[in-house]
Amino acid sequence: MPAVAAPGVPRATRLELFRLMLLQRFAEERIMALYRQGRIAGSVYTGYGQEAVAAGAGLALGPDDVVAPLNREQACHYARGVPVAHVFRNFLGKGAGPTFGRDGNMHFGVPERGIFPLVSHLGDLVPLVVGAALAFKLRGEPRVALTFFGDGAMSVGDVHEGLNLAGVLHVPAVFVVQSNRFAYSTPTERQMVNTNICERIEGGWSIPCARVDGTDALAVYETVRAAVERARAGEGPQAVEALTLRGHGHAAHDDARYVPRELREQYGDAIERLAARLSLDGLSASEIDGIRTAAADEVAAALVEAEGAAAPDPATLEVGVYATPIGGAQS
Amino acid sequence: MSEVTYLEAIRAGLADALRDDESVFLLGEDIGHFGGAFGVTKGLWEEFGAERVMDMPISEEGFVGAAIGAAWMGERPVVELQFADFVSCPFDTIVSVAAKTHWRSGIRLPLVIRAPFGGGVRGGPFHSQCPEGWFVGVAGLKVVCPGTIEDAYGLLRSAVEDDDPVLYFEHKALYRRLRGEEPDPSHRTPIGRARIARAGNGATVVTYAAGVDLALRAADSLDAEVLDLRTVWPFDREAVLESVARTSRLLVLQEAPRSSGVAGQILSLVAREGFEHLDAPPVLVAPPDTPVPYAPELEDAYLPSVESVRRALEELLAY
Repeated sequence: MPAVAAPGVPRATRLELFRLMLLQRFAEERIMALYRQGRIAGSVYTGYGQEAVAAGAGLALGPDDVVAPLNREQACHYARGVPVAHVFRNFLGKGAGPTFGRDGNMHFGVPERGIFPLVSHLGDLVPLVVGAALAFKLRGEPRVALTFFGDGAMSVGDVHEGLNLAGVLHVPAVFVVQSNRFAYSTPTERQMVNTNICERIEGGWSIPCARVDGTDALAVYETVRAAVERARAGEGPQAVEALTLRGHGHAAHDDARYVPRELREQYGDAIERLAARLSLDGLSASEIDGIRTAAADEVAAALVEAEGAAAPDPATLEVGVYATPIGGAQS
Repeated sequence: MSEVTYLEAIRAGLADALRDDESVFLLGEDIGHFGGAFGVTKGLWEEFGAERVMDMPISEEGFVGAAIGAAWMGERPVVELQFADFVSCPFDTIVSVAAKTHWRSGIRLPLVIRAPFGGGVRGGPFHSQCPEGWFVGVAGLKVVCPGTIEDAYGLLRSAVEDDDPVLYFEHKALYRRLRGEEPDPSHRTPIGRARIARAGNGATVVTYAAGVDLALRAADSLDAEVLDLRTVWPFDREAVLESVARTSRLLVLQEAPRSSGVAGQILSLVAREGFEHLDAPPVLVAPPDTPVPYAPELEDAYLPSVESVRRALEELLAY
């Protein structure tokens, strides 16, 4: 089934969404291959199948807005203008990467692009974006802070404290929920009684929440964009629940055999759904293939660039523990 | 110069920071119109308004997390925890987010968390703890514990102006007990630097916060130096080693349980790097490894006292 017609979304935006999703897909395919070859140490997390949410929400933000993405939202980084090579440098633990080799995989931020580094402890980033949004409100700046969380984090106390605070403080924060059916191996219906997360957010904290098909990039983009603009207009915190399915396991080592095949068949491929819409828009097959090829080439070149980067220097390990070091006072 | 209490010095530090820098704001439970559980912020809501002295729901993970987010955006939030014991609630976001962010991203988080700590107020296991030790050794955090009026003010101002997350533990028993000259608004106490509270030659007593006043009274007429750490993490290792090199005897006094906190770090440092200076085994005076008890008979036995510190010091001097 093609993505929604979304006549209000300009052609350039539609093409950009497609490109961003392809960048994530191709980069993650490379990352999985590198991991299996033993060329990426530690863990690997992908957002396979959830690219529409990452790209749609990422592109819905303005240039001065800030965001705290998680593991499944690689395309959000690309929407903010982060080069693919920078992402690879983090997965490869390079010294010039966003964490200087100090953290791996998707656990990074890009401060100059308004992106806060991912923290593994799910829920921590929810109060954090509330605070960023509070700063905007106090200063009267028309900016918005957005973060993502999944159905899994919906059982974490910090999420509830953060949502409550967002409501009480009436700040321009946007929460995008990736309801991807599983928290690691545990299905949503064994995590919560009411699996309608939107209903819980609206009923519990009076935060407006819209449910959207998370495999439809155009629908996600339009819905999150509307939420972002309401927040920017002073209407307080907003939420969007994107209904989707995690395409890979929790991490690369997890084959996700617990996901029933029927469920996989129920969710289409978000990228092909958008391709079908672009085709209905009048793009030729060769034009669509051209975008695919360009994205694949960009990813391939980025990997070459990243692999050539220097490893971090162990002598720098203690540099930057403090922004203001205390001379000689560290034990 | 007028006389102020330790509590009033903290309040003056907050007020002056709010006056000097628009990016400073306060957040915590009941700190607004109510003035805080201990009255530290009394009058600030009236002077600076609800946008700079913000009441929070009972939600420490939430509002400490929000303070981190505001700091990310360049604000200088100062959080009040109603009791330091409740720092266990936002412990995760303090050690997972606040402590590690600069090291792994370069983002500065100028954030202060104030926490009233310590016993002697019959608060029992959940309102009397000295949790500063939980943060000793956590890379990326600074932990300060003022023991004088001057440092209550000076460390607060330095903490607010610092670009790292700072935990500021203020001792409840000192709030109204210490009185002294009102610090000058220009006064700053450097973070990471100890102070010789009283010079001496026979032994070094390393302590901080309420331990300073206790040590000074216990050491009366004895030849002992009292070194006030002021910052317990990262602590002033040079000052400790320098003093022990002169006195050759070490007593560490803390109100945190004996196996928690900075005392073990001080003893470890001196064993590793000051061993040849020692003329006696180092002594540790600290409460036992139990929760803080409630009944006066139990809490008095639990806490270090002038008598117990003096006895330990006399034994050390006589060794």
